[in-house]
Amino acid sequence: MRKIVAICSLEMKRTFKRRSSYIIMFAMPLIFTLLFGGLFGENAGSAMPIAIVDEDGSVYSQHLIRQLKSHPFTEYEEVDAATAKELLSEKSVEGVVTIKKDFLGHIAKEEPAVMLQHPPGTAAAPMLEQLYNQAIRTLDLQVTAAQIGASYENKEWDMVFEQLIETESGTNGISEIHMNDAQVESWNKMSYSSAGFSIMFVMIVMLFTTGTLIEARNMGIWSRLLTTPATRIQLTLGYVLSFFIIGFVQFTLLIVLTSLLFGVQWGDPLGLAILVTVLLFSVVGLGMAIATLVKTSEQQSAVGMLLIISTSMLGGVYWPLDIVPEFMQKIANFVPQSWAIEGFKSLVDGAALGDIMTPILVLMGFAIVFLSIGISRVRYQ
Amino acid sequence: MLTMTNVKKRFGEQEVVKGITLHVGKGEAFGLLGPNGAGKSTTISMICGLVPYDEGDIQVDGLSVSRSPYEIKKKIGVVPQDIALYPTLSALDNLVFWGKMYGLKGREAKARALEVLETVGLVERGKDRIETFSGGMKRRINIGAALLHRPELLIMDEPTVGIDPQSRHHILETVKRLNEQGMTIIYTSHYMEEVEFLCKRIAIMDHGQVIATGSTQELCKRLAGGNQLLLDVEEVRPAFVEKLKQLDGVEKVMIPEASEIHLYIKQDQDMMASIVSMAAKEAVKLRQIKLKEADLETLFLQMTGRSLRD
Repeated sequence: MRKIVAICSLEMKRTFKRRSSYIIMFAMPLIFTLLFGGLFGENAGSAMPIAIVDEDGSVYSQHLIRQLKSHPFTEYEEVDAATAKELLSEKSVEGVVTIKKDFLGHIAKEEPAVMLQHPPGTAAAPMLEQLYNQAIRTLDLQVTAAQIGASYENKEWDMVFEQLIETESGTNGISEIHMNDAQVESWNKMSYSSAGFSIMFVMIVMLFTTGTLIEARNMGIWSRLLTTPATRIQLTLGYVLSFFIIGFVQFTLLIVLTSLLFGVQWGDPLGLAILVTVLLFSVVGLGMAIATLVKTSEQQSAVGMLLIISTSMLGGVYWPLDIVPEFMQKIANFVPQSWAIEGFKSLVDGAALGDIMTPILVLMGFAIVFLSIGISRVRYQ
Repeated sequence: MLTMTNVKKRFGEQEVVKGITLHVGKGEAFGLLGPNGAGKSTTISMICGLVPYDEGDIQVDGLSVSRSPYEIKKKIGVVPQDIALYPTLSALDNLVFWGKMYGLKGREAKARALEVLETVGLVERGKDRIETFSGGMKRRINIGAALLHRPELLIMDEPTVGIDPQSRHHILETVKRLNEQGMTIIYTSHYMEEVEFLCKRIAIMDHGQVIATGSTQELCKRLAGGNQLLLDVEEVRPAFVEKLKQLDGVEKVMIPEASEIHLYIKQDQDMMASIVSMAAKEAVKLRQIKLKEADLETLFLQMTGRSLRD
């Protein structure tokens, strides 16, 4: 045990002695959280302005508009077609959404029911398209449910639909009355950015920290360690423990700092501790796997950064996954960050440990795979 | 202290150590010499337990390396050729860490690290980071890291590579002192003078085998034509050279320059007087005559066909 502690404390000393560690560990994630959380936050007034033209003018189209308005990234203004055209030419709006006349009929015939006009090169167009498709799918489901319900109750389906959406909005109203301030503010942009950038920068720090394995191998330290009366298991445990503690210290301090500075409520402490633990083990495993698969520190930095940034994009660290195409959402299932974000989101929204078992188990699976690769490569190199 | 019996090691198809048998007594300073690729590093790695051997046995203080590796590692200190230290940490922090890896507790490790700093003559630099040290100072700390647990056997793999003469002198004196205090030393180096200075016995390895073992004097005596007579003459006359070749005890005659003749002679031959009178008879003006005794370099060259630094 003494030898494990010796390696662990040495690696921690080396990490925390470097001034640059504090910049990467704490300053950078806080700056990124502030920039992204503030820049895209719903309170920052930077939601995307969209003009909406309701040609249908029915209860269904109004329901769709209500759904769209609930999305935090967009801000809708209901106008007529001429005004919408004018606003678009003045570039006062990012796009115009037109709900076509008899749009339920279009949905039934699987024809385009909503039209989006935007200037060429609008970066948000795919996101908006995704958003509208989702909203239409939800509405279509509600209509189908109303039709089935009407056939059982021997009523007109549009009456059942109205009852359905009234019940839905009524429920929302009741729940909002009972919410306290913290719950209303729950999973906002700041908490999203805090979770996302904490994950990303813990991964970056782990990349540099696990680089000690390459350094030890190339400088002959690893060989020298093997001439001491320490077993290979003790050496490996010493390294894994040091990486884990460094990550845990970083994440814990980031949680405290984002709570104090940005008012982020991270939720159930037990669930949070376990989620962070399994996430860290998978990140440590990934770092070790990279460090033992490459030959030089330069290769490790290049491969590691590429992997971290690309998987962070795929895993929803920079933007919510519900705005990306469906196939991207499927790919995200193979990226640990997406499961971590899901876990953090649930905790922030008030979930307890039992509610986040799926992300915990999936992250545990990632940890087992990555650590197996990393540890086996350290043992036999 | 160390006994190797018919030890063999194979990497794939290649047999790199071909049945080494060696004995190093307690308190002895033993030199292991060989050109690159001779199998020295593999042999040292097997003694340290880094590389398992395929056949035979290695025993350190009566314990088999294959059966009791961790017990043996407590008795051995290894000074690797690489400077295996953490450059951003201080010398003291490095030594304390390595002490802990050898099982010393916190305070004990620190106290021992301070003692070792004194042994290697760097007490005043203990708190400085290794990266600020000269090559020689790093080498001294590198040696110190192997001394913390007071090993009975110290294995040193070319510990003076690339350092200044002053540091080399310091290191050699330190190692000599440790040996005099009873520590067994196994020393490999490309510098013959270091091995001659430190070691009473040596083994020469080549192509995975030990081709000679013994004291320097014993081995040099085995040399045919080991000693050389260097003649500085005004003019090399062929008749004089022919007569030199016919002298009893002369193995070989070489003329490297227009005014120099090198005679390779048997170890115990004293032929200076004969040469002087022969030169007088042949009217050859002999300006200088010098005896160069056989040394390890000559021995090594003759035995392996290669220079030690090849």
